[in-house]
Amino acid sequence: MLPKLTDKAWSPYLAGIVIGLLQIPAFLLIDTALGASSSYVKVAGHFAALFDGGVGAHPYFAKYMEASKYWWQLALVIGIGLGALASARLGGARRQAVSPVWAGALGSPSPVRRYAIAFAGGFILLFGARLAGGCTSGHGISGLAQLSLGSAIAVAAMFAGGIATALIAFRRI
Amino acid sequence: MSILTFIVIGLVMGAVFGLALEKSRVFEPGMILGQMQLRNFIMLKVFLAATATGLVALAVMTAAGWTGLHLKAVQVLANVIGGLLLGAGITLAGACPGTVIAQIGAGYRDAWATLAGGLAGTLAFGYLQPDLEPIFTAAGPGKLSLADVLGLPFWGVALIAAALLIGGMVALERWRPWRGALGADFDGDLRGGPRSATSHLGGQGVPAE
Repeated sequence: MLPKLTDKAWSPYLAGIVIGLLQIPAFLLIDTALGASSSYVKVAGHFAALFDGGVGAHPYFAKYMEASKYWWQLALVIGIGLGALASARLGGARRQAVSPVWAGALGSPSPVRRYAIAFAGGFILLFGARLAGGCTSGHGISGLAQLSLGSAIAVAAMFAGGIATALIAFRRI
Repeated sequence: MSILTFIVIGLVMGAVFGLALEKSRVFEPGMILGQMQLRNFIMLKVFLAATATGLVALAVMTAAGWTGLHLKAVQVLANVIGGLLLGAGITLAGACPGTVIAQIGAGYRDAWATLAGGLAGTLAFGYLQPDLEPIFTAAGPGKLSLADVLGLPFWGVALIAAALLIGGMVALERWRPWRGALGADFDGDLRGGPRSATSHLGGQGVPAE
């Protein structure tokens, strides 16, 4: 049976193959590997420029605000949102404002608590990704596909940090 | 290429990426948190399949001379501390920097808070980076792949690694079949009992009582 755009779910292996094949246009057309977290530096840099005229010459932000490949990556990340929106509509999946798993994991149905943890989690997520030099895509999918030793270290630490946090912070659901 | 071309290619590739994230359900907070609670393995399966596919694609493309690798330099302290924080953030947010955008697209409102936090974290890191760099950057081995360490051609080691990952996926699938991890609402929430979602996948409808 062939997978259809109107399916609610595909095999994770099929989806993984599709994502892995995206390395081909990434390397051949853009001359880079798949990644996501650099685009946050680009957006944060342009946002900071509204208040800080010196950010265009900042040793960290400037590179991400100038090079064309970060325009590609920002468009990629926006495309992820559009693709997920289309896929959810075609599959007929209706999502609540907050996933029901959080009430169980947090032991509280409070949306305020969930939004606060989401913000804090997002902060640590990107701070860590930028410190490590990449995220689940850049170090994970792309780094490991290049047999990168630095990426292997980062991915091992990522799962260690994630599993430890799940044990400490959340109820098992 | 013009910036517009970069943007169009990015949007098209991103739409395919977002479709795969949504269809595999790996973007669901319940799947990502479930992976870190070691009770749901959809995330690992997508991750391993994408990595194995990338290994094969890069083995072919580099052996043919069409492209070179884009390795990141080994920085042990930054990789370890950054990786630990990244993982903690994935669990707390129930998202990665890419999947959070898929969550927004699929309609989760709290993903906007994750995105706002992510941009704030990026701003904080960016402004601190000149001060952090001397602490975290040491004279390391530079850009290094397993193939360099072994002194073997990349394509050979990549194909062996891909074969090992495929073997791992076969074993993982026998241990935890993916259909059993979806949940009744395809969000990785199995608390209503691990009802198989097979009937929604076409083919065998629920038999009439």
